[in-house]
Amino acid sequence: MSGLGAGATAAHYDQRGLVEPDVQPPLVAEIDGESARFDGAQLSTRQINAELRRLVYAEGVTDVTVDNPGAKHSLGVGILTRCRIHFAGSLGYFGCGLIDGPEVQIDGRVGWSVAENMMSGVVVVGKNTGSLAGAALRGGDLVIKGDVGARTGIDQKGGTILVGGSAGMMTGFMMQRGRQIICGDVGHSLGDSMYDGVIYVGGRIASLGVDCVEAELDAHDGELLDRKFRIYGLDRPGTFRKFVCGKKLYNYDSLEPSERKLIL
Amino acid sequence: MTEYGFTNSPSIDAEALAGETYPYLHDITLVDGVDLNAATPGEDINWLEDIELLSEDGVPAVFDRYTNAFLKIHFEIPPGREDEIARKVLITHLRSGNCYGLSLKRRHSKFRQPELGPWAHGSPTVGDDWTPPTMDDWGTA
Repeated sequence: MSGLGAGATAAHYDQRGLVEPDVQPPLVAEIDGESARFDGAQLSTRQINAELRRLVYAEGVTDVTVDNPGAKHSLGVGILTRCRIHFAGSLGYFGCGLIDGPEVQIDGRVGWSVAENMMSGVVVVGKNTGSLAGAALRGGDLVIKGDVGARTGIDQKGGTILVGGSAGMMTGFMMQRGRQIICGDVGHSLGDSMYDGVIYVGGRIASLGVDCVEAELDAHDGELLDRKFRIYGLDRPGTFRKFVCGKKLYNYDSLEPSERKLIL
Repeated sequence: MTEYGFTNSPSIDAEALAGETYPYLHDITLVDGVDLNAATPGEDINWLEDIELLSEDGVPAVFDRYTNAFLKIHFEIPPGREDEIARKVLITHLRSGNCYGLSLKRRHSKFRQPELGPWAHGSPTVGDDWTPPTMDDWGTA
């Protein structure tokens, strides 16, 4: 493989061509104090992730730019420290999943399940994302400046998802906690089977899902919306409608106390 | 009551699980100086927005998702500062190295990561020397 820096080695896949079992960091980044930059064009997914981990865990780098990520899948996953990561391009599916702490900027688009299972941190996507954005999100802010596909924030358990454009069907499906702010329109079955959490919508709603009801906005909602739009510099729609769980599907009283705690 | 003086209730109590208590659960002055904005990513309190003061066994408590247990708060919480104090107790606990869930990283992490997570500067990294577990006599029969 060409284009690699000193110490770099080509990716070695298993016989199926799917897995790199013994990846090593390619050592291609140019490090300048606490900042670093490298080109992902000639690197495999695991090499890019290994280089990212080397930089933020072992080299004391707190600000990394990855050029030409090439819409590869599963980039920037599992980073568990405070740092800034800038992807100068688009990512494939499962980008920046399972992170705890990083502040990530993605200039382009992202496929399915961006920031799934994020525990804490900030992920800002400059354009559109596919379905399942913020799936099982536990905490932190996921900001998508463009449109999103279906089932945004499915099984969301915390955190805030802010969408500058429109969202597809079943947005907030099985949502359990957290907040979604959708500036544009949303598709059918908004908040279907949600147990808790809040969804704010600035545009039109095709239909509500099972047990999703409209609620009155209060001062706390206004403070949250003002704060998030100020932080991320997005245009705030003039009005929002608020949707919450109608609690018709609640059956917690029949659960054992230990089971009840597992959903916290 | 156990030999440690804790209750035998089936609750998920971090102190009971660990067999010890911690001074910051008893003294507000040990947590009041925590800067929540500085302790979290972004320009606000980020993931701590979801952390609220709850109750366990009738005692004010904050839920530690990294151990799946409650931290009971034994000092008096000033009215109007319930959630703020709960968040400060949790951050202090996570930074202290006492969090049982984080302590498991030392033994079980499969790849390099900071032991104390993103809340403590200068945390040692763990996970460099993980090897898959082996079973005696596996494959020899």
